[in-house]
Amino acid sequence: MISPVIPTQRAAEDLALVVGGESVSQNTDGAIAVLPRDTQQISAILRYATKNGLTVDPQGGGTKQRWGSGAVPHIRLCLSRLNRVLDHPWQDLTCTVQAGCTWASLQQSLAKHGQFVALDPLFTDRATVGGILAANDSGSLRQRYGSLRDLVIGMTLVLPDGTIAKTGGRVVKNVAGYDLSKLMTGSMGTLAVITEANFRLHALPQHARTFTVTAPDAIRLAPLLARIRGSHLIVQSLQLRRNKTEANLDICISSHPAAQQDALLEEMARGEGLASQEIREGFCFERESLLAGSSTFLRVSTLPTNVCAFADELQRAAPKVDVVSISQGIGLHDVSLRGSSDEIADAIRQIRAKGSTTVTVLQSDPAVDTTSFTIPAPVMSVMRAIKHNFDPGGILGPGKFFANA
Amino acid sequence: MDTHLTPAVVSELRRIVGERGLITAANQLQTYECDGLTAFRVPPAAVLLPETTEQVQKILRVCHRERIPFVARGSGTGLSGGALPTEGSVVLSLSRMNRILNIDIPNQQITVQPGVINSNVTAAVAPPGYFYAPDPSSQTVCSIGGNVAENAGGAHCLKYGFTVTHVLEMTVVLPDGEVVALGSKLPDAPGYDLAGVYIGSEGTLGIATEMTLRIMRKPETVQVILAAFDTISAAAQSVSDVIASGQLPAAMEIMDRLSIEAAELSVHPNYPACEALLLIELDGPQAEVDIQMGVVIDICKKNGAWETRLAVDENARFLVWKGRKAAFAAAGRLSPNYIVQDGVIPRTALPVVLEKLNAMAAAESLRVTNVFHAGDGNLHPIVLYDRNNPGEEDRAIDLSLRILDVCVEAGGSITGEHGVGREKQCSMSYMFADPDLETMQRVRRAFDPLNLSNPEKLFPTPRLCGERSRGAYAPHPVEASGIAEVF
Repeated sequence: MISPVIPTQRAAEDLALVVGGESVSQNTDGAIAVLPRDTQQISAILRYATKNGLTVDPQGGGTKQRWGSGAVPHIRLCLSRLNRVLDHPWQDLTCTVQAGCTWASLQQSLAKHGQFVALDPLFTDRATVGGILAANDSGSLRQRYGSLRDLVIGMTLVLPDGTIAKTGGRVVKNVAGYDLSKLMTGSMGTLAVITEANFRLHALPQHARTFTVTAPDAIRLAPLLARIRGSHLIVQSLQLRRNKTEANLDICISSHPAAQQDALLEEMARGEGLASQEIREGFCFERESLLAGSSTFLRVSTLPTNVCAFADELQRAAPKVDVVSISQGIGLHDVSLRGSSDEIADAIRQIRAKGSTTVTVLQSDPAVDTTSFTIPAPVMSVMRAIKHNFDPGGILGPGKFFANA
Repeated sequence: MDTHLTPAVVSELRRIVGERGLITAANQLQTYECDGLTAFRVPPAAVLLPETTEQVQKILRVCHRERIPFVARGSGTGLSGGALPTEGSVVLSLSRMNRILNIDIPNQQITVQPGVINSNVTAAVAPPGYFYAPDPSSQTVCSIGGNVAENAGGAHCLKYGFTVTHVLEMTVVLPDGEVVALGSKLPDAPGYDLAGVYIGSEGTLGIATEMTLRIMRKPETVQVILAAFDTISAAAQSVSDVIASGQLPAAMEIMDRLSIEAAELSVHPNYPACEALLLIELDGPQAEVDIQMGVVIDICKKNGAWETRLAVDENARFLVWKGRKAAFAAAGRLSPNYIVQDGVIPRTALPVVLEKLNAMAAAESLRVTNVFHAGDGNLHPIVLYDRNNPGEEDRAIDLSLRILDVCVEAGGSITGEHGVGREKQCSMSYMFADPDLETMQRVRRAFDPLNLSNPEKLFPTPRLCGERSRGAYAPHPVEASGIAEVF
């Protein structure tokens, strides 16, 4: 951790001159909380921080602040005041929104014209656009609409030296220059502070019916999962839930009822000796419970063909730990582990040892070894060079991402 | 830039690629002096035809040591001068790296070398019922490596997204010769999304030598409708109405009268003769497409379509698309020379922008024909001219660049899928402010600190864009200080 060249009390006073005294406060963890009103103020704050060697961690709703286990920064930059939807030219199917806007309020606003950003991240009531982008969160809609990198079309950024830069634009199709929006997505706030984002939008689905198929273990659902992936079904969500006692395959179909794809699905399930059952509500796609309490939370990637086998392996790798997993059909697994630190650490080691997976520990008990992921040295050196070129003083997102690499 | 291609270096390169893999004879180098943008030509110092990642690596190590700039080239079909050699550079033509390495149907992936032709990817996975979605109009000749460099689109990216959506992992040789894997065959590679920033970087961040692509299940049914209108505005309104109805067609294209005529002359698609032809493709489950097509036809008729013609069988659809995709080449039937532009505007600005564009063309006494991806606002104005008429080429280039300014002013972009290359690099400073461009350079320097990989492309440079910078007029300091005036 870099040491500041000025005392924090002095820094708080200086920052008050930028944003006003009522917008600066001292957090219990020792960080100075600053609430800027606009991009220009953020630019002034970052310029000040770089000049004085103060570390900064941007914060939206704070729902994923522990991800990447960063250190306590000198300045916690709270974006909650940048909370407006700036533009929604609905006929162009795009929108511009400030980074501190919560996901739910953005979606509410877009829904007035029957549109949405086709993503279902965690904690939509509190999580903000900027935080979701920084953490690259995604849920079950990913099956049909892709991830954030496929939905974000432009950004306004503030670099640690105060530079305000725009990337991309407000049109969906645009290859002018490097696509820095993609670089920022998932960068955990370590390169620049996102202050605005432009998204491409989709029409809200007109038809959606959800079915579930239950089995005692996931491997029995694997043939059905493979058949659905190779079928003509218009699948919006395709998700496997696995806990100690059973496995559920949830399928949300969004084709027109006239296509009778529900009957097709039923037939496929029957063909595999299984029964599909319609469920009324979309509750099965909620992932928040995985992060409740003091669980250790992992995100694991596998090939699509390994989804079911991996979900079963998880249970076998940690017989004494309470393991719950929600896996997307594309091969992305959200895993919650509850139990003793030793047993969890042992389980993570076993999961890593399997190979052919990428394991990222996003949130954990401090006692658990969270060496988060390994990146080959030549790739890492490019990433380090990018980090250095954006943030030579190393002030943004202290301890995050690179500490774990 | 100094060239360091001494005889000793040439022999070293020859040892890497063999006699067959090196071109230095002036008449053969001529083949590589331009790409699809023929108005710009520079012969390279040498052309290398590597066949393996290792050879590319060895070449780039030599280039790095000797500070020799290099330019990667696929099929040379690019329309922005991206594969135009830089003076003193070597060109790495990847056309011999054209093997399909692996097909994994259960995981819906295919691994190919960069020289593989776009439509051959779909051909390779068509038997089990899959396709590769990005479909630039040049897909029967353009290469996947070039598609990756330009983040190629195509008519169907309205629904299916661009190349970047469909590339999972790449083997990339960095400008210093390091070989890295960017992205991952598994979702969400850890760390920064280097693949996301590499794709569309126009060969400025290294050379991709292998890529794993996502393939998709072919839709159950596909239907294309041709609707004939008396005005472009009526066709454009239909596009907006289709979008407002909540549907996402696979493609929506508009052709104007001149381009229809050109297509007829060249591939005889038998289009209705009209001022504006709207082509809409729907795909999905049969019953759903039938219902949606009914809605689409109603919308077209409501907006004054006097003919709606449905192409349901594969042959009819093939012909419809053949005509559309031949539109650029067919411009050659209208005029000895032409420039294809690639501006993007918010869809709703279409009528206003077209009116401006026509007025600008009339003022220059040049003809401009239009085909465009109407669904996503990507215009392809084709400026027709004759190089033999003194000054006409310059006026045509100037007009085509001023069209881009209009797109930027409408809130759009200077390029939707062709890339910036050499052609539009001076327009970059009209679309982006200096801090935006400087931020991109931070990425560039991280990959290529010596600026060897396709230098002098994409970014505006003082040498090429001159003091008479395009865009806002910048007064000379002498003028600003009041010492002199401009008359």
